[in-house]
Amino acid sequence: MNTSMSTFFPWPAKYAALFCGGVLLSSMAVHADESRIRNRTISYVMTDLFWSVYQTEDAKQECPRGFNDGPREQFEKLFPYHEGLSVQETQLAQEIETWHPTTESDGFEFYEVEGELAWGLNLDGEVSSNDFTHPDGTPGIDNEVYRAVGCVIGFRGPDGVEFIFQDKAILDEEYNRMMIELTEVDSLDNDDTVVVNMYRGMDRLLTNATGQEVMAGGTQRIDYRWGESLIRQFNARIVDGVLITEPMPEMVMPWQNLSVPSIHIFKDARFQLDLTSEGASGILAGYADVDSWYYQLIRNDSTHHLSNGQISGISLYKALRRLADAHPDPETGENTAISTSLDVKMAQVYIVHPDSKAGE
Amino acid sequence: MNVLNRLSIVSMLGLLPALASAADEGLYTEAYRDVPMPAGFRVEATPEGPVFANSNGMTLYEWPQHKLRNGYSGESPSNPACYDEVLTVTAGLMSPYPPGIKLPELDKRKSCADLWHPVVAAADAEEVGEWTIVERRDGSLQWAYEEQPLYTSIKDSQPGDVMGGTRRSFGGDSPAKRVPIGPPSLHPPGFSIRSTFNGRMLATDRSASVYSFDGDTATSTACEGACLTNWEPIVAPSLAREQGEWSLIERSPGVRQWVFRGRPLYTYALDSGTWSQTGTDIPGWNNVYTQLAEPYPASFKSQPTMVGNALATAEGKSIYVYNCGEDSQDQLGCDHPDDTQVYRLAMCGAGDPERCQEHWPYVIAGADEESTGRIWRIVWIDPMTGRFAEPNQEGALRVWAYRDRPVYTFGGDTRPGDLHGGGTGEWRGQRNGLKAIMLRDDFFRGHL
Repeated sequence: MNTSMSTFFPWPAKYAALFCGGVLLSSMAVHADESRIRNRTISYVMTDLFWSVYQTEDAKQECPRGFNDGPREQFEKLFPYHEGLSVQETQLAQEIETWHPTTESDGFEFYEVEGELAWGLNLDGEVSSNDFTHPDGTPGIDNEVYRAVGCVIGFRGPDGVEFIFQDKAILDEEYNRMMIELTEVDSLDNDDTVVVNMYRGMDRLLTNATGQEVMAGGTQRIDYRWGESLIRQFNARIVDGVLITEPMPEMVMPWQNLSVPSIHIFKDARFQLDLTSEGASGILAGYADVDSWYYQLIRNDSTHHLSNGQISGISLYKALRRLADAHPDPETGENTAISTSLDVKMAQVYIVHPDSKAGE
Repeated sequence: MNVLNRLSIVSMLGLLPALASAADEGLYTEAYRDVPMPAGFRVEATPEGPVFANSNGMTLYEWPQHKLRNGYSGESPSNPACYDEVLTVTAGLMSPYPPGIKLPELDKRKSCADLWHPVVAAADAEEVGEWTIVERRDGSLQWAYEEQPLYTSIKDSQPGDVMGGTRRSFGGDSPAKRVPIGPPSLHPPGFSIRSTFNGRMLATDRSASVYSFDGDTATSTACEGACLTNWEPIVAPSLAREQGEWSLIERSPGVRQWVFRGRPLYTYALDSGTWSQTGTDIPGWNNVYTQLAEPYPASFKSQPTMVGNALATAEGKSIYVYNCGEDSQDQLGCDHPDDTQVYRLAMCGAGDPERCQEHWPYVIAGADEESTGRIWRIVWIDPMTGRFAEPNQEGALRVWAYRDRPVYTFGGDTRPGDLHGGGTGEWRGQRNGLKAIMLRDDFFRGHL
């Protein structure tokens, strides 16, 4: 995790260093970082977006009791002699539990993350016993989605089914082509006031010849027609090269991994991104609406796909509801949102406004 | 060539006056190439284009082999697999559920042949062209076309009905569906036609959408100079000949462009996907259909969503249709009010019909509304059983149905343009679930 930007956008400062030295090198690097700013504006398009899952090599630290069962394993335990049973008693009973979930126990022990470390941010400004600690030592990290999915194989990289499908879809599809546009930018190093616009793009990503590595410098038109409801504007600042946005009351993130248009709703959402002229990387954190989170998952992934990642929607829903930690329902008092963090990577892009030309 | 009588087609399809007057295309139906047929068969114009029919006008279907997750269903060439044996257990063709589970309502369950009647060939019948005769297990003879055994559907009751199946493309995880068959469409090489919700859409043989421009005529084109930057004329080969509705316009010496029904044809350089509708955003430019679909009810509308334009009620609530196919070897449908309702009730309301009405309410027809044709009909439904009811039967609802299947809105859609119900159910809404009806889908290539 936390792969450095130079891995994904390898060429800029490296090659400058081949030709320059000392003070000259320093001044040229700064110049390169600012070179893609046009009219005090620089924009980025998302190329990676997935739940922040802190993983150790053998998972012993975070999942000492192992990984959770999925639908296939649960079915075998529930119905070892299914031949004598009906579709209603077996398959449809499980589908009903999936599509009409409850918080009642399903009889399976659910393995939550037990480690102390997690990626994410301190969303509530408090440090409590339920919080994680960031690997850099920062306490108070709120990331209960990680606690729920961290011991579910399908959410773990690099080969979990959710990880794979999302990784592919964000490159291949346009429904989820989200971008941020930083305006009123004076410097990518430090700037007290930056205004950020969030749009959906309409175009394919600019890639190298492999089609897999996204390049900086592409262009994107703004989807004002279908994507108007996704447009947001918020304030931010840049501190030592890190973009820190103010929390947005509500951000809608289009999400697709298997041909079903769905959304996530993040409350109090905020970016924390390392900026360069070529790209941005870091975190999107906030509180995810639990129901939207769950139905996004099961609408995109059939029980078959969930099985491939050993993801029991039935068990996971109960965990999400149990671990939800914000935005209580005014009537029931039950929390409706759950803290989360997503790893984000973006490539610099020129956003084409209807009355502008690329790069202006 | 056999171009069907336009006026009779308008009458048959029940086209709304608004559509018929709004677009010349509403008057057309798809032309087809004459192929030799055995006696007793004919071609019927249907919303799915021209199809073969028996002497009573009932549409003929094939059941092509379809690869599923754990095996195959459907029929391999010349091998009938639809018989009068009532299957009792699941086939386990779709993971993760294993085979051998008892199918629902076994006491009422029909066999494949009960629902799909084999098209019987007489003992002295003779094969003609692509029409061949295959032998069934009991020694009886069955007609096949291009080696696929043929059937009629008990869901069809009138000539031109295609209630048993559609030609719309379906995903690999959909059931092995029955598909209406017909003669080849009459178009030059280099083109293809696909059934969509909006009609039979024309594209190149590489699935690039074909467009026409309002400013063009059969003998003149207004798209010159800069217009050609984004609009590429579809050029005909040097040996191409005019035929039927297809003619040619010489744009410049030796360069001839295809013209269909009096409009020169183009592709759009900015289309980023196949079967696209994005070119129609440019005023005056239109997708081309060989025939339009029957208009949807006048009380419905096209509602912008985050995905494209969905069919919606007057209040802007997206409209969904239920899809269902069993995990049995015969892949019988379960999406029609005459089919078992066990699957649908499980998905829409955990088996509780009242919860179903809360989560997935039927689209109630207005008191002054009438059926618009065979595709969009008003039917009476008993909401407690999900089955057809008698008119004004106590508790029954008068609802809109698409191809005889009731349509629904989703309780989770609270604002116009919400589309939160799409993909609900097993296999992303393909096998026991609901999908939105999209009029324009810029993102999902018509899979919704």
